[in-house]
Amino acid sequence: MRDRLAVMAASACGVLLVVQYFVNADWLQASYRLLLSWMQAIFAFALVVGVLAVIRDRIARAGRTTEERVNAVVMVGAALVISLLGFVGGTGRESPFQWAFVHLQAPMQTTVFSLLAFYVATAAYRGFRARTIESGVLVVAALIVLLGRVPIGEWLTPVLPGGADWILNTPALAAKRAILIGIGLGMAATSLRVIAGIERTYLGGR
Amino acid sequence: MNERSLIFLALAGIVSAALLLRPGLPIGVTDSAHEVFELIESLDSGDVVMISFDHEASSLPEVGPLGAAIADHCFRKRINVVGLALFAEGTAAGYELLTERAGGAGARYGDDWIYLGFRPQYTAAILGMGESIPDVFAADYRGTEIGTLPLGRRVLDYNDIDLVVSVADGSMPTYWVEYAQARYGQKIVAALSAVMVTSFTPYLEAGQLAGILPGLRGAAAYEQLLNSPGAGSRGMDAISGAHVLLALLVVAGNIQLWRSRRRRRNP
Repeated sequence: MRDRLAVMAASACGVLLVVQYFVNADWLQASYRLLLSWMQAIFAFALVVGVLAVIRDRIARAGRTTEERVNAVVMVGAALVISLLGFVGGTGRESPFQWAFVHLQAPMQTTVFSLLAFYVATAAYRGFRARTIESGVLVVAALIVLLGRVPIGEWLTPVLPGGADWILNTPALAAKRAILIGIGLGMAATSLRVIAGIERTYLGGR
Repeated sequence: MNERSLIFLALAGIVSAALLLRPGLPIGVTDSAHEVFELIESLDSGDVVMISFDHEASSLPEVGPLGAAIADHCFRKRINVVGLALFAEGTAAGYELLTERAGGAGARYGDDWIYLGFRPQYTAAILGMGESIPDVFAADYRGTEIGTLPLGRRVLDYNDIDLVVSVADGSMPTYWVEYAQARYGQKIVAALSAVMVTSFTPYLEAGQLAGILPGLRGAAAYEQLLNSPGAGSRGMDAISGAHVLLALLVVAGNIQLWRSRRRRRNP
C-alpha cells in the first residue's frame, strides 16, 4: 500500500509538471510553484538526514581501528565546530565561520585536489603509450591539445592552438554530442517510466 | 630515487619555478573570452548580471579567477551584480570574492550588488527564480530581508536579470540551460573549469549558451581584455610548464615502449 501511494504521488507530480508546461492555467501555475517550494523543503530535510547519517556512520566505525577512531574524531569534530561557528558567530565576512572556510577548508581542499596533477603526471608517463594504432592516435591528439591550449603552444607555433581547437570542436564534440543525445533520450525514457509507474527503483529497489 | 619520485619532484620544481620567476609568456586573447567580454561590454550601467558560484572549494584556484574577472568587468561598468550559490561550498567563496571585488571598485552593498546566498535543490531554485526571486530568497546571505534592499526590490524574476553567469566546476550550467534558458529564455554564460568545456560546446553551438569562458586560460585572456593581469595570468606560466612536462613524459614513455619492443624483436 505504501509503495502504491508513493508511485501514485510520483505519477501525479510528473503529469502535473508536464501539463503545466503546456497549459497556462492559474491553478496549474500555482500548483507548480507549490511543488517547487516543496522540492526545496524536502531537499533541506534530506541534507540534515545526510549529515546525521555520515556522523552516525563515522561513530559506528570508530570502534574498529585506531585509524578509524582518529578519522571519526576529526570528521565529527570538524562538522560540529564549523556548524557552531556558523550558528554562533554568523556567516559575515569577518566571522569565524568565514575565516575557517577561507583559511582552513578551501586551502585543504585545493591541496588535496592539486595532488591529482602529480598522479596525472606519473600516469602520463606509465600508462599513456601507443600500443595500438588507435591508442597512437589518442596519444598524438593528447599531445596537440596539451600544448595547444597553453601560451607556450601559441609561442612555439600557431599550428598547435589551431590543431587543438579542431580536435576539441570536431571529433571530440561529435562524440560528446552523441553522448548528450543518448543521455537526453535516456532521461526522457526514465521519466516516462516513472510517470507510468514502471520504474520503481527510487523506492529502494522494492 | 625511483621514477615516480623524480616525476613528482620535476612537476613541483617546474610549477614552483614558474610561479616564483614569472617568465611572463605572452597570453593571446581567445575568441571565447572575446565573445563573453563583448557580451558584458554591450550591457549598460544599471543592468543586472547574476553570478552563480556553482563550484566546490577544491576548484577555487581555477574558477576563482574566472569569477573575479567577470565581477571586475561588471563593477567597472557599473553593472549591478546579484550573487548566489547553488553549491554549498560556493557560498562562502562567492561572498568573499564579490565583497573583495566590490570593495576595490567602490560598489555599495544593497545598491550596486547583493548576495543571496545558497539554496538547496538547484533545479527547484533555478525554476523558482523564474517565478519569483523573493519567494526563493526571502532574505540575503547576511539575513537582511530582500525587499528592504534597493537592488533586491528591483530583481523580481529573470525578466529583471540581463545575464546569468554560472561559475562552475561541474555540470551545473546544464541545469541553468535546461531550466532557466529553455523555460524562461534567460541568457546564460558558463565560466567553467577547462576540463568541462567540451561538455558544454554543443549548448554553445545550439545557441542555448551565450558564451563559454574556459578555465584559467579563459580567465587570463579575460584579464588581458580588461588590461588588468591577475591570478589567471599569473597561473598561465605554471600551467604552460606543467603541460610541457606532461607532453615530455608522454613522449619519454612512448620512446621507452618503442625501445623495449625493439629489444624483444632483436635480443
